[in-house]
Amino acid sequence: MTSPPRTSISAFPRGHEFSSATFQLDRHAVRAYLAAVGDANDYGDEVPPLAAVALGLNALQQQIALPEGSLHTGQEVEHSAVVRAGEALTLTGRIAQRSERQGFVISVIEFEVANAGGIAIRARTTIMAPGVAA
Amino acid sequence: MSIEVQLVSRVITQERIAAYADASGDHNPIHVDQEFARATPFGGTIAHGMLVLALLGEMMRGAYGETWSTSGKLKVRFKAPTRPGDTVTASAVLSKESAESVEYAVQCASQSGEVLIDGRASVRMSG
Repeated sequence: MTSPPRTSISAFPRGHEFSSATFQLDRHAVRAYLAAVGDANDYGDEVPPLAAVALGLNALQQQIALPEGSLHTGQEVEHSAVVRAGEALTLTGRIAQRSERQGFVISVIEFEVANAGGIAIRARTTIMAPGVAA
Repeated sequence: MSIEVQLVSRVITQERIAAYADASGDHNPIHVDQEFARATPFGGTIAHGMLVLALLGEMMRGAYGETWSTSGKLKVRFKAPTRPGDTVTASAVLSKESAESVEYAVQCASQSGEVLIDGRASVRMSG
């Protein structure tokens, strides 16, 4: 399997739709996430929403190159349904906003994580990245 | 009806950052490569913003249980980097309450009181 070439986030125009991606978090992945962050809450077979967002962002980063000096400056997450370990998840995302300031491009990536029941999580990630050279 | 939200406090070690990189798949060298990170304006590695944000998720999940996962909302800004060895404390102050929802001003701060993350967390109350 070959990965598509990645493009700098600064080069994506507003409205760009990323290819949808599928992923899942099995129980082992959820345990590894909880151990890493140190969260001792009892989630049963539930996937912590921020774990789904983090893995979703990682899936998107297969299509996005973050140039050196990029900063994650903001995050919004809204959960509407529980995601269970092992469920097949589909991620759809787009560049919802793009602006430029002092040589940096500020991009807002809007994405949804859906399971068989529909959209479970909506998220907006703000990235400030060095601009693309003219 | 609002619930008292308990503080969550944790030391963010380089080992935790490395474990988070493995768990999330985010191996950006600014988080895990000391030599690379020393040459950046940060002067050393910094924690993933999502790792520090996880303390807020843990705090709200601890207070609201599965209701947090079915009707919670977070909106934050990352204000300052978290460095290995920092003790981060997540806290919440009730800011709005109605029959339909509760909202808190939330933040993560370092041991020196520097605000690392701030924003709002809200929970829709069903029924």
